[in-house]
Order: sequence, then C-alpha cells, then structure tokens
Amino acid sequence: MIRNNRKGLTALEGVLIIIIIIIGIIAGYYAYQASSRPPPSLPPTPTPGVLKISNLVVQPSRAEAGQPITVSVTASNTGGSNITDTIYLYVNGTVEASKEITVEAGKETTVKFTLTKSEGKYLVSAGSFSKVIEVLPAIKNPDTIIVATIGEPETLDPAWAYDTASGEVIFNVYETLIFFKGNRTDEFIPLLATEWSVSPDGLTYTFKIRNGVKFQNGDVLTPQDVEYSIERALVQDRDGGPTWMLAEPLLGIDVVHDTYNLTDPAVAAKVGHMIDDAVESNATHVIFHLKNTYPPFLGILAQTWASVLDKKWCIAQGDWPGWDPTYTKWVKWNNPDTPPLQEKMMGTGPFMLDRWEHGVQVVLKRFDGYWRGPAEIKTAIIKKVDEWSTRKLMFLSGDADMVYVPRAHIKELEGIPHIRLYKDLPELVVGALFFTFNISPNSPYIGSGKLDGNGIPPNFFSDINVRKAFAYSFDYNKYIEEAFLGEASRAANPIIKGLPYYWPNAPMYEFNLTKAEEYFKKAWNGALWENGFTLTLTYNVGNEARHIAAEILKYNIESLNPKFKIYIRAVEWPTFLRALVGSQLPTFIIGWLADYADPHDFVFPFMHSSGAFSAFQHYSNPQVDKLIEEGITTTNSTKREMIYRKLAVIYYDDVPSVPLYQPLGRHYERDWVKGWYYNPIFPGIYFYTLSKGY
Amino acid sequence: MGVKEYTIRRIILLPIVLIGVTLLIFAIMQFFSPVERASLYVRNPREFEHIDAIIKKHHLNDPLPIQYINWLSGVLRGNLGWSKSVNMPVSQAILTFFPATFELVIFSIPLIIIIGILLGIISAVYRDTIVDHTTRSLAIMGWSLPTFWSAIILLSIFYGGLGIFPPGRLSPAMEAVIHSPSFMRYTGLNIVDGILNGRWDVVADAFSHIILPDLNLTLVIVALPMRIMRSSMLEALGKEYIIAARAKGLSNRVVIYKHAMRNALIPLVTIAGTLTAGLITGVVITETVFDYHGLGYWAANAATQLDIPAVLGFALFVGIIYVLTNLTVDILYAYIDPRIRY
Repeated sequence: MIRNNRKGLTALEGVLIIIIIIIGIIAGYYAYQASSRPPPSLPPTPTPGVLKISNLVVQPSRAEAGQPITVSVTASNTGGSNITDTIYLYVNGTVEASKEITVEAGKETTVKFTLTKSEGKYLVSAGSFSKVIEVLPAIKNPDTIIVATIGEPETLDPAWAYDTASGEVIFNVYETLIFFKGNRTDEFIPLLATEWSVSPDGLTYTFKIRNGVKFQNGDVLTPQDVEYSIERALVQDRDGGPTWMLAEPLLGIDVVHDTYNLTDPAVAAKVGHMIDDAVESNATHVIFHLKNTYPPFLGILAQTWASVLDKKWCIAQGDWPGWDPTYTKWVKWNNPDTPPLQEKMMGTGPFMLDRWEHGVQVVLKRFDGYWRGPAEIKTAIIKKVDEWSTRKLMFLSGDADMVYVPRAHIKELEGIPHIRLYKDLPELVVGALFFTFNISPNSPYIGSGKLDGNGIPPNFFSDINVRKAFAYSFDYNKYIEEAFLGEASRAANPIIKGLPYYWPNAPMYEFNLTKAEEYFKKAWNGALWENGFTLTLTYNVGNEARHIAAEILKYNIESLNPKFKIYIRAVEWPTFLRALVGSQLPTFIIGWLADYADPHDFVFPFMHSSGAFSAFQHYSNPQVDKLIEEGITTTNSTKREMIYRKLAVIYYDDVPSVPLYQPLGRHYERDWVKGWYYNPIFPGIYFYTLSKGY
Repeated sequence: MGVKEYTIRRIILLPIVLIGVTLLIFAIMQFFSPVERASLYVRNPREFEHIDAIIKKHHLNDPLPIQYINWLSGVLRGNLGWSKSVNMPVSQAILTFFPATFELVIFSIPLIIIIGILLGIISAVYRDTIVDHTTRSLAIMGWSLPTFWSAIILLSIFYGGLGIFPPGRLSPAMEAVIHSPSFMRYTGLNIVDGILNGRWDVVADAFSHIILPDLNLTLVIVALPMRIMRSSMLEALGKEYIIAARAKGLSNRVVIYKHAMRNALIPLVTIAGTLTAGLITGVVITETVFDYHGLGYWAANAATQLDIPAVLGFALFVGIIYVLTNLTVDILYAYIDPRIRY
C-alpha cells in the first residue's frame, strides 16, 4: 500500500492560490471603484406620442344619394414621440370606417374618408367632433327639366297663339324686343333691343336693335326681321287671335278683316299701306307709329305675340313674303286656316324646338349659340300627363321636376320632403258674378218672365237695388274658404292686385244680410219683396267653384224671404256658353285672365258697353265708356290713376258685376331645382334661369 | 254555303256595317247644337264673338245629311277631319298613336291567353274544390275591378312604392336615343325597333314601361278566356274519348294536356272578338293612367274635350278592327273545325 504522507503545499497548488488571490484583488479593486464613483447619467426617457383629432370637415354637407361624401379630420401628434394609432369614423354611433395612421411627433396629418350614403340624415363623428350630413334623393335627369302638366299647345306660331300652353313654348324659343324685369309686370329690361325711347306725344316708339344676335339657324337678326314679325302678325290676324293687341295701338282698329272689306283690292292696298307705315325699320332701329297713345304698348311688345321671327326663314316656309308692289297680295295670308308656322320654330331664344309630340310632350333643347350664353340645362320637357295620380307619382319619384297640382289635391302633397312649394302667388285673374241687365225673353232660366213670384222679368237686374241686394247676400269669405280652400283673395273691382293703379282701399261689398234685405225691400218699389221671385242659376258641369257660389247665393237669399226661390242647374260648358252669348243667363260667374298687365285689359271687358262681358250683360254707361277711352289714350300716370279710381267708384256704385275672387296660385318643384321665379304675366315656366343641384 | 261564299258575303257587308257604325256615332254627336259644338273651339272669352265664324268654318250649321256626306267623302279620301285635342289631322293621329297601342296589345294578348288557359285548366281539373273556387273567385274579382282602380293600385305599389316600372313609354334618356338620327324607326314599336337597332338599353327601358299596363290589362281581362277554357275543358273531360284514354292507362297529364286541352281550345277562338273589344275598352283607361300615349289615351282625352272628329275617327277605326277580327274568327273557325258549315 502506498501512502502519501505530504507535509506542505505543492508548487502547483501555490500558483493556483496566488492566481485566485490576484483575481480577488482585481475584483475587489473594481468593486471598490464601482462603489466609490458616482452613478452614470441615464439617457432621457422619451414622452409618448399623443394624438389629437380636430377640424372635422364634411364635404358636401348636403349630398345627393350615391354621391361620394368626403369626411376629413386633422390628426395632430402633440406628444414627444411618433405615434401609430387608428382613427375611427362613426356614423350614427357605429363605426363606419377606420384608418391606421402614423404621425411624427409634433406633426399633423389630414385623414380622409369617403362615404356614399342613401337618402337620410346622418351624424358623423370622429374623435370628439360631430357633424350632421343630409343625404338627399339622387337627382334624376340632371341636365333636364321635366314639367308634368295638363294642356296641349294649340300652335307654335306666335301670331296665332293665344293660350298659355302655346305661350309657354313660344317664350322659351322666341324673344321679344324687351322683357319683363324679374317679377315685375310694368318694368322692362332690354332683350333684342338694347334701348328704346318714346316720343313726348306717346305716338312713336323707337327701338335700337341689338347687334350680333343670331337665330338658331345661324341667320343674323336685323331690324328688318323685327319689322317683318310685327307686320306679319297684323297681316295674319286670325279670328279670335291675339293680334288685336297690336292692331289697336298701331292701326286703331280691333280686327283687320272685320273692319275692312279686304276683297276689294283698293281697300286691301290701303290697309296694306297702313300696316306697312305702322312699323318702319332702318339699319339700326325699328320705329312704331301708334294711332293713339297707348300706355300698355310696351307690355304688349314684351309678350309672345310680338315675338321676333327670322324673315328669310319664314318666307322659305311658305309664309307671307312681304309687301308686293300692289300691296294687295297680303290678303292671301290674312286669317288663314293653318299658317305655315303652326309646328315649326326658329327663334333667337335660349331653347330650340326639338320636337312636338302632339298630345304627349314638347321637347326643347338648349341653343348653344344663344347670345346671352347657353342655358345651364340641356333639355326642357313639357309633358302632358292628364291623370293626377300618375302626375303625382312622377313628381314624388323625381321623374318630374315641376308639377301642376289641381287645387282639390293640394293636401296630398303636404308634409312630403324634398318638395319646394311657393304659395299665395297672386294671379292676374279675377272671377266675378255678372248680372244680365236685359235677359233674353226666351231664356229658360227666368220662369214666368214676370215679377209674379214664379219668375223674373227680363230686366230684373236693371234695378240697382236688386244688384246691390245680391252683392250683400254673398258670403265672400266662406266662398273663398270652400271653393279655393282659402287660397284666393277678394277683389273690389276689375283693377286687381298686381296691376298698375291697383287701389287697395277701393270700396267693396261685404256680406251683410241686413243690408241685403233692405235693398230687396226697396227693389221694384217693394213689389219684389211682396211677390217674391224665382230664377235659375246655372253653372257648367264640373266647375265646383261656380256650383258653390250658386249654393251660397241660394242659401242666403232664400233665407231672407220664403217667396224667394232660386234653382240651381248644372249644364254642359257649350250650353252655358251658348246661354251666355245669347244673354239668357240671369247671372253668370266667369273669370278673366290678363292679356297684358294694365287696367285697360280688365275694365274694358267688365265695364265698357262693347266689352266681352258687359256686351252680353247689356250694361252701358256712357260716362264709363268715356273714362275707359280716356284711360287708354293718356300717358300721364297721375291722370290715369285718377281715371281708374273714378272707374272703381262707378263700378262700386253701378254694381254691373261683383268680383268674387282673385286666385292665389301655387308652384311646386323638387328641391333640386334652382332659379325659378314668379311673374304673374308669364304663360308658363321660363327655363333659361333654371338649373338642378343642391 | 261554303266558306268561300260566306267570306265574300261578309266582306261585301263590311262597308255597310261600318256605315252603320258611323251613322250611329254621327247621330249621337248631333245631340249637340252647332253653337254648342262651335263653342268647344272657344278657349278665350274674347273668342265668343267669333262663334258664327267658327260655325261657318267647320260647316256646323249645314243640314245633317250634308254634314254626314261631307264627312264620309272626306273619310273616303283619307281625310277624317281635324283633332283639336292634339292639333293634328285625325288620320295622322291614328297613325301616330296606333303603334303604342299595338305594342301594348301584342304583349298582353299572349299573357292573357296563356294565363287564361292555365287557370281554366286548373279550375276544370280541380272542379268544385278549393282550388277551383279560389281561381274562379280571383279571376272574377279581376274582371269586376274598375280598370282605373287596378291601374292606380299597380302604379302606386310598383312605381310609387318600389320605384320600378315607371309610367310613360320610355324614359327621357331613351326617348332622346330613339329620336336621334342614328336610331332607325322601322315599326314605331319601341321594343321591336330597339332590337332591330341593337339597342338593348332601349328594349329594357321599353319593357320596364310596358310591364305594368300589360299586367293591368291581363288582370282585368283574363277571366274571359279562363271561363271559356274552364267550361270547354269540363265538357271535353266528360267526353267518351277521354274515358277511353284513361281506360288505356294513359297518365292524367297526357289525358289532360294531349287529349282534353287540344279540343277544349277550339271554343277559345270564338272569343277573339270579345277579347279585342275588352282590350280596346281596357286600353282607354289603362293608357290614361299609365301615361301611355296610344290610341286609348288620345280617345279618352278627345272624348272629355268633345273632340268630335277624333271620337268619330277612333270609333271608325275600332269598328274596322272589331269587324275584321270577327270576320277572321268566323273564317278561321270553319277551318279549325271542319264540321262547321255556314
């Protein structure tokens, strides 16, 4: 056995111990160093990024359904380091979209979202900001205005047209020398004329013709076109047409072929010269020579019957070729059966005739070479939709931009969104109750024809007390409420609101049965009250307003005396008209629509012994006739005002008729239509100012 | 009498029948006096003064036979007078509006016939069951519905409510297409012309406009073929050859569709005239409500405005179609069923 009995360390063990000691000393040294020196400074800790949302912008805030809506917000990093975060866009409280963004410290960025929404209102929120956006129905046919209406144009010939449906087409295609200023009927702006002047005696009107105006076929407008157009209207002068408005001031007569025997060549030549002399033109101007002063002449020249046509084009269509050396051949074009321009148009206006589909629609297209600059819309359609339910649905669905709403249906469109309604638009219309002073003895509406309680004598209404009693017996306010649903105003006399020289404080009759009784007792020296009377009031079938008027009159008058008997009978329109023309109707209710905005156009038919209504009534007052003639032959406005006030007083005193209503119109359009304005003398919609958009 | 003789006799009688029709209509119109008829031309109170001139211009005061002969001689020369409701000659109005009505009718006839036959068969096969009662009740309800009412309801639901199937014949955009110089008008029928021009957008648009009026016509007329079909089907199903067919072990389907239906269809031909009349009555109202400007729309409008030449022209046109349809049916019937002799 080997035993290792050592006593001391080996050399290797000594070296190891020394190494350990050295390591320990070094470690101790470093430990001492570490504990004795100050701690090292740490790098600064970066502050976190802070994202702030501001400036919520919605563009557009009213949008069309399906139209892109841009929502933008500004995201600012107010923190010290970059930040990456998600921006949420809320619509009505729920997340609609989100975007992850990174914003450098201290910088800002704009975040955009694009939405398309269906119709409705929405609350858009991002961060702590909110905005409401309104999404409106999508605009149908954005370049086209569609009017759903009733009525069919009779013609497209300006000299022939005397109905509003024709006028609506004509005044969009043809133009006149002057035009109505905004909604005024008595102030004018230059159109095809640049300026005009009236001679001090009021007999000569001179118009300077605008340069550079082109017709839709490219022909340049000349003063000779203007002269031709007015003379052509006088030459044509069809039965029942509008030319009397030009003939009265320019020729001093009403109807050419009724006044003169045109089959006699000498007479024809004389009249031809008269027409030719009435209108003259030179290189720059057109001059009108009036027979008498005629204050409404400018108003007449501003309407469709004075439209300016292209002479060259008219002749090419087979129309009147102008004056021949003998001045006799024009008669061939007088009162024709069908003039060549019934279906053709060539004007200087903002729209051209695209097509007239009879009984269906008239389509107008924009004239890009229009001298005032092209219209905003490309197409205008006047659509004939007779059935109200269909018309309404087209309007509500946006297939029609404007609609004709019969008064009976106005409640159906109440409270419906996206419809713009203009109401209480005073129309230049007045309806009145007329008394026939000398009823035809063979009238079937006067019973026995005697004041015996079973009828009335033919001159029943020649007693002013009867007329006044009737005037006091009518409940005007109730009538307006029931027949017009309140949408009419009262008129004191034919010079209604909207006409020059309208007298707001003119005397008028009120509903007063006590006074009615008083006048009935006075009438016919008491015999009327004693014997009573029986008469028949008529109205034309379907005219509910006239029916209501008759019922009101019947109820009130019969309540005064049991011997008063009124029967009401509905007759067809032709029968009504025949009886009216034949002076068979004891009373009649009928309305009058302005030809031009001047009192003369109203006082003449209502009061002059040759007026359209007063002639059938056999009402004649020489003082009235004289005043009416003075009124139209003076240009002094103060004098005219006095004359029309005098006529208003006489009208009240004489009671030849009693105005019952002046309708207040409505205009309905979709809320995307822009630019419409009301002028009571316009025959329809003037498309040039219209556009579509929100 | 053979079919040929019968046909010749009917054709000879045709003008006499038509003269009878025109005389009747003319006589009715004469209930209005000349002044009354003249006053229909008056639009403005100022025109009252020209009543006499209007009477003279339109020969309204001539003796009645003269007026009739004038009108008839005009008709023979193709001049049916002037339709003041649309401001064009009556003959031109007929030509203008006929394609729209024709288009409406040619698409509604197959619908009416097919649905009528199917309902008739179902009713007959399930005779006196709840199916029969329901089918018949629905058909009779359709027949009894006022045409304008059903039209308004359809329009309100589909166009007003759902925004589909608009009124009119075409949308404004497609109207612009068909009136553009590049679009050839071959027939006046929008669908056919759309196909011929390769404009499928026009075809689709025209279809979307024609569906509702066609549906309305079908709804109100389908009861007529359905009832005929049901009764003739019941008759056929009771015949011995059907019993024999069943005895042979043929399936019910074969018995009904191959044997009974074919024979039951023959009487259906006889109602073609009545169907035409029903359609014409139907289109007058249907076209008016759906703003579908065809002959019916024009006639309805003319009647409300007492546009006498238009009403006369329309009646004459309808009379001709009606008489010709009946003549064709009578002749066809003899060919279809050789047992029939005149």
